[in-house]
Amino acid sequence: MKYIDELKNISENPRAAFEGAIASGKKVVGVMPYFCPEELVYAAGMLPFGLWGAAIQANDSKRYFPAFICSILHTTLEMGIKGQLDDLSAIMIPICCDSLKGMGANWEYGVGNKVPVINVAYAQNRKIEAGVGFTASQFRKIRKQLEEIAGNEITDDALAKAVTVYNENRDAILCFSKAAATHPKEISAQTRSAVLKAGYFMDRAKHTEMLREITEELSALPASDEGYLKIVTTGILADMLGFLELIDKNNMVIADDQIAQESVGARTQTPVTEDPILGMAQRLSDIEGCSVLYDLGKFRGKQLVSLAQEAGAAGILFVLTKFCDPEEYDYVPVKRMTDAAGIPMLQVEIDQQMKNFAQAESALQAFAEMLRER
Amino acid sequence: MADIYTMGIDIGSSASKCLILKNGTEIAGSAVIAAGTGTSGPRRAQEEALAAAGISMKDIRRSTATGYGRNTVEGVDAVVSELSCHAIGIHAVFPDVRTLIDIGGQDAKVIRVSENGRLDSFVMNDKCAAGTGRFLDVMARVLELDVSELEEKSAKAKNVVNISSTCTVFAESEVISQLSNNVDICDLVAGIHRSVAVRTAGLVRRLGVVEPVAMSGGVALNGGVVSALEEELGLTIKVSPLAQLNGAYGAAVHAWGQLEKETL
Repeated sequence: MKYIDELKNISENPRAAFEGAIASGKKVVGVMPYFCPEELVYAAGMLPFGLWGAAIQANDSKRYFPAFICSILHTTLEMGIKGQLDDLSAIMIPICCDSLKGMGANWEYGVGNKVPVINVAYAQNRKIEAGVGFTASQFRKIRKQLEEIAGNEITDDALAKAVTVYNENRDAILCFSKAAATHPKEISAQTRSAVLKAGYFMDRAKHTEMLREITEELSALPASDEGYLKIVTTGILADMLGFLELIDKNNMVIADDQIAQESVGARTQTPVTEDPILGMAQRLSDIEGCSVLYDLGKFRGKQLVSLAQEAGAAGILFVLTKFCDPEEYDYVPVKRMTDAAGIPMLQVEIDQQMKNFAQAESALQAFAEMLRER
Repeated sequence: MADIYTMGIDIGSSASKCLILKNGTEIAGSAVIAAGTGTSGPRRAQEEALAAAGISMKDIRRSTATGYGRNTVEGVDAVVSELSCHAIGIHAVFPDVRTLIDIGGQDAKVIRVSENGRLDSFVMNDKCAAGTGRFLDVMARVLELDVSELEEKSAKAKNVVNISSTCTVFAESEVISQLSNNVDICDLVAGIHRSVAVRTAGLVRRLGVVEPVAMSGGVALNGGVVSALEEELGLTIKVSPLAQLNGAYGAAVHAWGQLEKETL
C-alpha cells in the first residue's frame, strides 16, 4: 500500500527525518507532549518535531529526575544531555503535569542554553473565559519568542494557513483511524501506530496527503475485520512494538483510541476565528479525554464509554504509562464508568524501555480469551 | 471403552507442573518440578506425570499448555493463558468460588470466576516482585530458612514486626536491619507474611471482594500467608488442595473440554 513503508521508516527512524530537515536548511523546534501550539512553529516556517521519548536507556537524566518519572521525560532529557538534539532551534515544554513542571529547569541545567526552552503554560481552569484568555496570552508570548528564533514575523495569514493545515491533518487522522478499524489485515496495530506517529516528525500537510491516499485505498477494499476482537485503547501513548505485536497476535483490532499521542488531539479542531491565537486557545479549552488536562466533569470516562459503544468494541485497553500519576489518578473513575457501562477494561502497564512483555502477553491473551467467551 | 487421557502443562517462572486427567475427572498423575521455563523442568514434569499415570505420551489424546512459558512447549494442541486455566481449575475443585487469589513465583493474580467457571475479570500485580513467591524466597534466604519452614516460624510469633517497605529490595534491607537488632525470627517471618497479605489484599480489593474466595499457587502452601490474608480481608479462604497444580489442572480440564466439543 502506497506510503505505508515510507511512514513506517519515518516513525522508526525519526532521527533521519530530523537530520534531513536540518540538512535542508530548515529550522526545527522540538515539541514535547501535550498539545503545544505547533501551528505557531509551522507558521514561522519551521518544522515542529515531536519529542515523545525513545526506546533508549536513561542514565544521565537520572541526575535530574528521580527514577519514578515517566520515560517520555527521562529519555527526552537523556537525548538532550547526550547532545542528540543540539540542532534544535528551541524546545517547547508544556507544564501540564507535575513531572513536566520540572522538565524546563532540568533541561536548562542538563543541556544548557544551546537549545532554548519555550515554556508553554495553559490555564488550569481552561474551560472558563478567563482561562481561554490566559492561554491565548501565553500563546501570544510564545509567538514572539518563535519570531525571534525564526528570524521572521508570524503573520496572521500564515497562522491562519497553519491552523487549516493542522485542522485538515486532524480530520485525516480520524478518517484513517476509522478506515484502519475495519482493515486489520492491511493495517495491523503496529502499522496503524507507525502511520499516526510519523506525523510528529514531518510536515503535517504532507502527512495529511499520505493519510488521505491510504484511507482512500482502504475504503476501496472490502472489510477484513471478521474474526477480530474490536478494542478501544486509552492512555498517553501506545507505540511500543512489543506491545502492539501482542494486540496483533491476539487478533485484536483497534476500533478507536483515546490515546494522547494518537486521536485525542485530533478530535478537536481549532475554531476558525478572526484571531487565530484565540481559536487555538479555545481548542485547548475544548479538548477532552486526556488525563493531563484538567477535567472537572471527569468527562474522559464518559467519552471512552461512548467511543467503545460507537465502535462496537468488546473491551477497552487502559494502556498505563509507567509512573504517570495523572493516568493512575484517572484510572479509578474511568474504570468505574466502564464497569457501569458493562464494558470490560484491562489495565496494562508499559514503558518505552520494556524489553520483556511476558506479563502483558499473559494479560492480553487472557483478556482476549475472556472477551471471546462472552 | 478405553480410558481417555488429557494433559495440562503449566510452565511457570520457577516451577514446571504437569497433570494428567483420566476421562475428564480423575487425576491419573501429576508432577511439580522446581525448575521453570527455559530449564529441563518442563520435560521432567511431563515425564514424571506420565510415569505416575503409568502411560506414555502416545496415550494423551489432547494437551493444553499454560503459564509463563506456555509458548515454549512443543507438540501441544492448545496454548491458553494461565488466568483462564486457573479459573477453569478452581471451578472444577470448588464450583462455588467466585474469587481466586493465585500467587506464583513472579506474579500475583486475582481472578473473578463466573458461575459457569469462566474467567470474568482479573488483575495482576505490577511494577515489582513484592508480594510474590520470589519475595518469600528472598526473605527466606536472608533469614537462612527454607521456604517450607516459614509457616511454622510465623505460627510462633508473639510480636509481629511491621515491614513497611513495599519493594523487595528495600524490604530485604529492612529485614536485615531488624535481624541486626536481634528481633525474633518468628516475629519477622510473621511480619513478612503480613506484608505479602497487605499487598495481595490491595489487589483483591481492586478487583472487588466476592465470596467465596480461594487461593492457589505455590504460596497457598504457606499457611502463614493464608492466615495473614484471611485476617487482612476479614474472611475465610479456601485453599485448593492442588495448590501449585491448579493451573495445570485447569489446562487438562480445558483439553478435555476441547475434546468434548470436537466429538459432540
